Amino acid sequence: MMGEPLWRIRANARGGYDVGLPDEERELLAVLPGRMLGALSALSKPEASVPDDLRRLFPPAYPTDASAESAYIRLVREDLLEHHREALTLLRDSAEMTHLDTNGVIAWLTALTDLRLMLGSMLNITESEMELDPEDPDYYNWICYQYLSYLQHEIVTVLTEQLPTPATDANERLPEDPWGEPLGGLRWDGTPRPEQP
Amino acid sequence: MIDVSAASARTIEVAPEIEQSTESREHVSFDRPWLVIVWNDPINLMSYVTFVFQKLFGYSLEKATKLMRDVHEKGRAVVATGTRERAELDVARLHRHGLWATMEQSG
Repeated sequence: MMGEPLWRIRANARGGYDVGLPDEERELLAVLPGRMLGALSALSKPEASVPDDLRRLFPPAYPTDASAESAYIRLVREDLLEHHREALTLLRDSAEMTHLDTNGVIAWLTALTDLRLMLGSMLNITESEMELDPEDPDYYNWICYQYLSYLQHEIVTVLTEQLPTPATDANERLPEDPWGEPLGGLRWDGTPRPEQP
Repeated sequence: MIDVSAASARTIEVAPEIEQSTESREHVSFDRPWLVIVWNDPINLMSYVTFVFQKLFGYSLEKATKLMRDVHEKGRAVVATGTRERAELDVARLHRHGLWATMEQSG
């Protein structure tokens, strides 16, 4: 009897990657991108505002300079949107494949990141542990989120082992942390965390 | 950021994107350099953030892990510096990887 493989993604000797996902996981990966592509279609107009659930995909470069931020959006928004669309489309269309090349695996990684950012926003994920009851209306999204986390981590682990040896001066390019002491207490958007009770 | 554990293997190089970024941190002129800042977020995995720092900037695993830890524990970390144009390009690359990156001129 054939059991489930112990790996989901692994590099092979031909320079590509083998994909060993069970059928139900492939079905999920073929369906989830469609939800997000639908949501992204609302951003096709250049001046469209970003819905809350997608805000993490389009962070500001200049959070305190509206003029510079507008110029930045004009410069990168369309390209960034297309980047997300391409990755999600590729994941949807290749979810059944048993082999991927490097570009394919990196596109999967991009799409998994995008899906986690959207689902995590919908679930209002925080640093605290989250457990949902199967009766909870968010349970399906939460299970999807957990699964995508697992798969993303596996892909990251495989790809990390393919990274070339860093240049000898690569670690010297960055000055010491100009802020010195730990700042603590900041949330992902730079605002202070609420006081702990 | 979230920590997840697992393991795997192999050897085919993932093309790093540093060739786009190494170009000239030298011609910074006399202006104060711009800082590329990555902020903590509760969704991206620690392993993923570390991987992105290695992939985009060519940092060693140790350096990338330290920066990831700084992001997680201090709330933010400067991950690159340079001219405004250089910083803006790095921010855009980080945004393509789903990280919450901003830029500001050093004080």
